[in-house]
Amino acid sequence: MRDERFDVVIVGGGHNGTTIAAYLAKCGLSTCILEARPECGGGQENTEVRPGFRIDPHATYLYGGAAPGFDQLELWKYGMRMVYYPSMAGIATLDGQAANLGSRWRPDIGEESIGRVSPGDLAGPGRIFDQLGEAATRELLRALFWTPPYPEGTEVDPVDMPWWQVFRKHLPNLWSEELVSMSYLDFLDNFVQWEPLKVLDAFAAWYCGAHPAWDGMLMQSIGGMLLLTYASGAPRGGMHTYAHAIIRCALAHGARILTNAPVGEIIVRDGRAVGVRLAEDAAFGEKTIWADKAVISGVDVQQTFLRLIGRSHLDPSFVQRVSDISLKGGSLFVMSVICRELPRYHGREDAFPEEIYPSCVVAPADSLEWFRDQTREAYSHRRPPKMAPEQLTMMICTHDPYDSTRCPDGYHVLSPIYLEMPPPEYDVTGPEGVNRQKSEITSGALALLERLAPNMTGANIVDVFVNTPQDSEFRNAGMVGGNWYGVRHSEDQWFANRPIPELGRYRTPIEGLYLCNQTSHPGGLCLMAVPYNLMHVLIEDGIAEPGGWWYPSPYYVPGGGPARVEAV
Amino acid sequence: MTRAEHGVRPTEHILEELPERSSFDVVVVGAGPNGLITAAYLARAGLRVAVVERRQEIGGGLSTEETLFPGHYTNPHAFYHMMTDYMPVLSDFDLPAHGLFFVKPNAQTAAVFADGTSLMLCNHIEDTKDSIAKVSSRDATTMGKVMRTWRRIVEEIIAPGTYLPALSPIDMTEALDRTETGREVLRLAEMSPVEIVDELFTDDRVRALVLYVACMWGLDPTETGLGFMVPLMVDRAMSKAQCYGGSHKLAGALSREIHRHGGLVIDNAEVTRILVDGGRASGVECFDGRVLEAKAVVSSLAPPLTFGRLIDPPEVPADLREAADLWEWDKWSFFTLSLVSKEAPRYRCDDPWVDDALMVLVGFDSSESVLDHFAELSAGSIGAHLGGHASIETRYDPTLSRVPGHHVSFLQVHAPYDVRDGWEVRAEEIGGQLMSLWAESCHNLGKANVVMRAVETPVDIERRLASMVRGSIKHGDYNPLQMGSFRPHDSCAAGRSPIEGLYLCGASSYPGGLVIGGPGYIAAASIAEDLGARRWWAPPAFVRRYAESYLP
Repeated sequence: MRDERFDVVIVGGGHNGTTIAAYLAKCGLSTCILEARPECGGGQENTEVRPGFRIDPHATYLYGGAAPGFDQLELWKYGMRMVYYPSMAGIATLDGQAANLGSRWRPDIGEESIGRVSPGDLAGPGRIFDQLGEAATRELLRALFWTPPYPEGTEVDPVDMPWWQVFRKHLPNLWSEELVSMSYLDFLDNFVQWEPLKVLDAFAAWYCGAHPAWDGMLMQSIGGMLLLTYASGAPRGGMHTYAHAIIRCALAHGARILTNAPVGEIIVRDGRAVGVRLAEDAAFGEKTIWADKAVISGVDVQQTFLRLIGRSHLDPSFVQRVSDISLKGGSLFVMSVICRELPRYHGREDAFPEEIYPSCVVAPADSLEWFRDQTREAYSHRRPPKMAPEQLTMMICTHDPYDSTRCPDGYHVLSPIYLEMPPPEYDVTGPEGVNRQKSEITSGALALLERLAPNMTGANIVDVFVNTPQDSEFRNAGMVGGNWYGVRHSEDQWFANRPIPELGRYRTPIEGLYLCNQTSHPGGLCLMAVPYNLMHVLIEDGIAEPGGWWYPSPYYVPGGGPARVEAV
Repeated sequence: MTRAEHGVRPTEHILEELPERSSFDVVVVGAGPNGLITAAYLARAGLRVAVVERRQEIGGGLSTEETLFPGHYTNPHAFYHMMTDYMPVLSDFDLPAHGLFFVKPNAQTAAVFADGTSLMLCNHIEDTKDSIAKVSSRDATTMGKVMRTWRRIVEEIIAPGTYLPALSPIDMTEALDRTETGREVLRLAEMSPVEIVDELFTDDRVRALVLYVACMWGLDPTETGLGFMVPLMVDRAMSKAQCYGGSHKLAGALSREIHRHGGLVIDNAEVTRILVDGGRASGVECFDGRVLEAKAVVSSLAPPLTFGRLIDPPEVPADLREAADLWEWDKWSFFTLSLVSKEAPRYRCDDPWVDDALMVLVGFDSSESVLDHFAELSAGSIGAHLGGHASIETRYDPTLSRVPGHHVSFLQVHAPYDVRDGWEVRAEEIGGQLMSLWAESCHNLGKANVVMRAVETPVDIERRLASMVRGSIKHGDYNPLQMGSFRPHDSCAAGRSPIEGLYLCGASSYPGGLVIGGPGYIAAASIAEDLGARRWWAPPAFVRRYAESYLP
């Protein structure tokens, strides 16, 4: 077997690993991705669990519409296509209220619907996209997500963080310094009137961005939802086709991709990462693969250091800090339901006609208190929520009204249906706690769905598939905690603090080893943002030399730059 | 478009997409094994190639799916590969060097019988003879002798013929008449599989095993005319290989070659029309209205789809149109029970090595039971003579389970597409019958060991792969009128069709299906020649030797 040697070896072919491979291959570097699963894409997955029926076990919408990667990598050349939805979101309650919020493409739907139930919420500050418009939204999103964290020790006034600069510029009437330390729940209490709308906003903030209860993360809570609003759609066929475009871009530029090739060890010599050793069962002959310029870890920060590097190369203080990184907040219990009819929510059977059926419905949206209770159960008590099942708030998504490739005629797929759960690692009933209650939680959720939409009976439901947080860990080795954003999107673990300050610029204590996973800034959602931000650092370190197609973030602060950053 | 879609068409696009119209040298319809092979050869020849696929995943029958969700994968179509020692594409693209590996164990195809005996066809002939000698020394000796002839037939004639255009029946007879091996092929052709098996073997269990493996992929056991396929099928039942990491890896490897050479694969893009202008194919239109223009359009679909559905009727020559209407889909399809277990199945029989076999036949005790099984199928019925082939997929490819300690296995039986009451009603019942049959043959398939199970019906096959109409895994029956130069029609030779610029490369073209890679390889050569592209590949040695000995 000949010596396998590349400029850059990438551990993990998830969204971030494949994207950085595409960037670096486009820079002319010889690049190799090592993926443990049979298929790259990580959370960008559409599994065909029954012939002809595809579910979304993880990612479901295009959040990354504002990504520079679309034009820098020219993904259109590799088949990228979108489907845009007239209605992204709806609300339904147990007591028969409903609202259809439409989407940025059809604002009239939301105006009409909200105008009926809560006219006071029509033009409120809660509807930020309408006030910003497309260009300013993109500017704000790029400041939030597509900006490399500042070098460690850089002084910056919180009000001068890139996103607040953009906010101040475009929304001067809304701006006040108090926003900087607020949580999204504080914001909703101040600015939104109709309780079900608050529930939708709070719940959506959790599954799109930062949990609404977290202080100082208002812009990240809103930002996640703005990402969703900005594209208001999904790639044709589902998120995995977006992964295909990225993978094909990498291949077209000469990247090598080995699947079924789990990595057992990152090889360190004299403090420098020089290659990897594949696990014994890897589907490749030569198990040692050398990296001349860099090893990039596309897996989470804890596995990178605690499993692949190992304690023999790390000091105990660093090991403790890495072990203490919090995984809480994004663990998902995901249900997928194949049915013959879409849910018709009770009391308002006319609310969601098929041609403008909301792609995701948050229900039951009766009480914000219920959502707070779930959060408390999952993260404070560290156990599956013990409250009455009808008080579980769910998000129920469907794509097939707008994308016929998802399932055969005459059927619908409700996928994903998300519920909030503790990560297995923290579950006081043991890591298998949620799995032991899998059928109980599933039947509780289905009974709730039937209460919300009486047509969701056994006769209408053809099949149900569930992946718990622990199942997700098995399926995707890199998805620790079954967590959609890797580690908590909280202020302690955001921007230059993500995942810990000394790793905030994607560099590590091991020379030549870089982080490129959602456990680095800005987290999950398949934004092509971690790789874009990392590119700045790889350019700085002389590893990547992109052509004229590259442009950096306007907020980029080079290493060795000013110690104090003012507004741009 | 299969259903009304209500997506918005925004006036401003937030990101650039594949354009509404684009232009290529070659557009291939369908990213199955043959479509991908054609595209890979032509992309490397310097042509600008696009492959357009209806599904999200490419590969067609080269699929590896998470049918036992969460975390367990199966290869629901081609779960093994029968021609890995011949397919030119593997060496032409040096695919093993890029991480594509086939595992070909010695323990190949076993059968277990109700009396507790077992037989096993091994890759090593002497091991096969040892197993057969348990029941008949005479048959063991015969097997040794006949396999020397049959392997020569495969090596000298059938394997090379797979990768060259079909000869007409007259030319074929003339060619084969040149050698003793060739004359044996001509003699076998006039016999039915059951006649061949009865002539050779005496023990009825040996007959049952050999007859089943000869016919399991679509030969009628009592029909004459295709007897020459028996040596191929039996030899290949002793030469099966599993793709490590799942069959889909072969598709991935081919797709990588396409992209490396500037080609494009587009998924979720069902082709709804092949555009023909003035008698010349000029491109395709997808369900979302996107048009891909091309100098050559290559269809991997069967004639009823290519000529009956995708092309405007006036553009199709009358005889071809008629042939498309008369096309016979596969005689039968398949029903599969897959399961996840904590322990891999262990068979009740006299030979523990059977547990390592790539395939194990259960439910057949005599050649009559095999004949009854196929007769019941031909009558469009299922259930009275159930028997089939089982495989422990994780035995040679542990990557198919993501859950430590779990094994994935299946038992597959032939099944008619049309059944009384329909498959939606019958699936559970037949699945239950199969579970009982399998459990009776094994020590350990009780409830405590089985973690989950799933069934797939012929309707499911068609739902996953719409080109397999009526669950036809070979895109059309293997009968004398649809084989050789008649596959798919005598006006379509070497992958060319009578419509200028339209080529055929699928399993419905000569030499046929089962991931042997012949149709795609043959079409690539014709298209390269017609478009004046560089033919960078040379025929492999076994093909050259055949051409020198048999072709004038």
